[in-house]
Amino acid sequence: MDVIGNLLAGFQTALGLHNIYLCFIGCLFGTMVGVLPGIGPLVGISLLIPATYGIDATGAIIMLAGIYYGAMYGGSTTSILMNIPGESASVITCVDGYQMTQKGRGGAALFISAWGSFVGGNLSILGLMILAPLLANFATRFGPPEIFAVLMLAFILLGSLGSGSFFKTMPMIFLGMFLGTVGMDPLTGNFRFTHGVKDLYDGIGFVPVAMGAFGIGEILTVTEESLVRVIHKVRMRELLPTREELRASWGPIFRGSGLGFLIGILPGSAHVLSSFVSYAVEKKVSSHSEEFGTGRIEGVAGPETANNAATGGAMIPFLGIGIPTGPATAVMMIALMIHGIRPGPLFISEQPQIFWGLIASMYIGNVILLILNLPLVGIFINLLRVPFRILFPLVLIICLVGTYSVSSSTFDLLILLGSGVFGYIFRKLKYDLAPFILALIIGPLLEVSLRQSLMRSDGSFSIFWNSPISLTLLGVSSLLFVWNLITTLKPKSTWKKVLEQE
Amino acid sequence: MIKARAGGLLFLLTGIYGLVYSRSLPMGRWNEPGPGGFPFGLALLLVFSGIMTIARGKGEKEEEQKGKGRDFLRNLITPLLIVLLTLGFILSLEWAGYVTSVVVYLFILFFGICRYRLPLAAGMAGVFGLGSWYLFVKILGVQLPLSFWGL
Repeated sequence: MDVIGNLLAGFQTALGLHNIYLCFIGCLFGTMVGVLPGIGPLVGISLLIPATYGIDATGAIIMLAGIYYGAMYGGSTTSILMNIPGESASVITCVDGYQMTQKGRGGAALFISAWGSFVGGNLSILGLMILAPLLANFATRFGPPEIFAVLMLAFILLGSLGSGSFFKTMPMIFLGMFLGTVGMDPLTGNFRFTHGVKDLYDGIGFVPVAMGAFGIGEILTVTEESLVRVIHKVRMRELLPTREELRASWGPIFRGSGLGFLIGILPGSAHVLSSFVSYAVEKKVSSHSEEFGTGRIEGVAGPETANNAATGGAMIPFLGIGIPTGPATAVMMIALMIHGIRPGPLFISEQPQIFWGLIASMYIGNVILLILNLPLVGIFINLLRVPFRILFPLVLIICLVGTYSVSSSTFDLLILLGSGVFGYIFRKLKYDLAPFILALIIGPLLEVSLRQSLMRSDGSFSIFWNSPISLTLLGVSSLLFVWNLITTLKPKSTWKKVLEQE
Repeated sequence: MIKARAGGLLFLLTGIYGLVYSRSLPMGRWNEPGPGGFPFGLALLLVFSGIMTIARGKGEKEEEQKGKGRDFLRNLITPLLIVLLTLGFILSLEWAGYVTSVVVYLFILFFGICRYRLPLAAGMAGVFGLGSWYLFVKILGVQLPLSFWGL
């Protein structure tokens, strides 16, 4: 089979000492950023972008992807031991995970979380390596009308599935797209909204906005509160779950793998959404649903598996058609573009050594992460003993230097700070920032595809329904839009309410 | 109610800005859309969203809390100080150099905001400042502005 042959070639690339080393660095760094509250994979990936300048594109994406899925492993540690989510995707793990710690079963929760992440991660990579090439093949038939239709569907889905209501998410998308128009128009060369400021001619950089909104915005929010940390100790012999806990975990792990993978393909807060949906499903199917919230292992196994499985799903549109569906994959796309490579329909066929090398390295990375997060979990727990009063200034420095390293521009630092204030304000107003960031980066693609379509059709909109692909996608988008209009009149479902509160 | 409407106001103001300034860009024709059309459309959507958000916010209830205004202002002090200090760091970075700027920045954060004692704050600022320089410049290869004393 072609897939097996390609995978073996990928392992040949990934098992090189240099790439194993980079994979290890990415996984280690990713686990650290996942463990530390206030720093997410976005900041971690942005910070290591300059470190990729001296290495090849394959090594670069192996390392950066390691941070991405490593953070999903690390985020559960603080959720379980301290009731503080290290990463937004681990919020729901706090509910039953911390209760298990209170009962002296924190070690078992950590074990099942790591094991579920391992299984979910590997199953999602399997899905990725089968589906991404198929999607890429299909997407070679895409022209501007089809790309426009895909992006419209992505934005409507983002609005539907975001953690806020549809009518709170869509304005954030419009705002992000509007900000994306600043700078030089890609088709005519006109400058838009630059007011003569030369630093704006290239537009507003995505990295400073994302790091500011998520990194500095988070710090400004957290410094309002005082954090009192109680860290529960876990001994090695307490790591092993009982037979009953293992038996109870298998179902949630396999269900979480499927759910997480499918939800990961969708744009938006896929990791957060997948963990919440998994929790809701496990509670629904469990014969002990009334015990959820008191320390059920299913409440840890399902969500933690799902948020890791979502990683593989999220890579499919990113690698297959060049559309990132989350902030982390968007930054990875920027890192690849710095190396002169643009993910898209031709990426897999033109750069097979990068794609299959990455796939193979993700299998290796999952093994590394299992080792880091089980027997070596104590090392990461010690990181949490660092007082927040020492940690947040260091995070600020990391954000500032990370931004400066990309463009050596003081103006970008001002954008970073401004975005931090923006992120802080919108967090206080309970708006989701992820749709804004995504719209900033893929909004320009939407505009270009729309204008190119109209140029091709001599101004006629019939080009969008003459193509069966774009007609179908726009039809689905319209139905979803109408569905959202109707459901805003109905009471919200429980998981939506919880997402909005988060 | 105020929170619900504040977001709407931001969208509305951005939309109005977009409507005003995109009119000065060429709109083009349907068969050759100009650079002004898309931002104009987005600005219209932002104005509409802003008005909708403000109107919907009118119906939302917010819990009344005693001393809410005082708490709000008190909570704002630390973030505001951090923003001002960071602005100072950014503006001084290129003329004073990275090492000088970061050590001073960290010292003020550790001493003024984190409330560590003076010797401890100074020590940590020095260690972390120089350590960060070593990590970013020597290990990660990041180009950072030199201080006047050569580092």
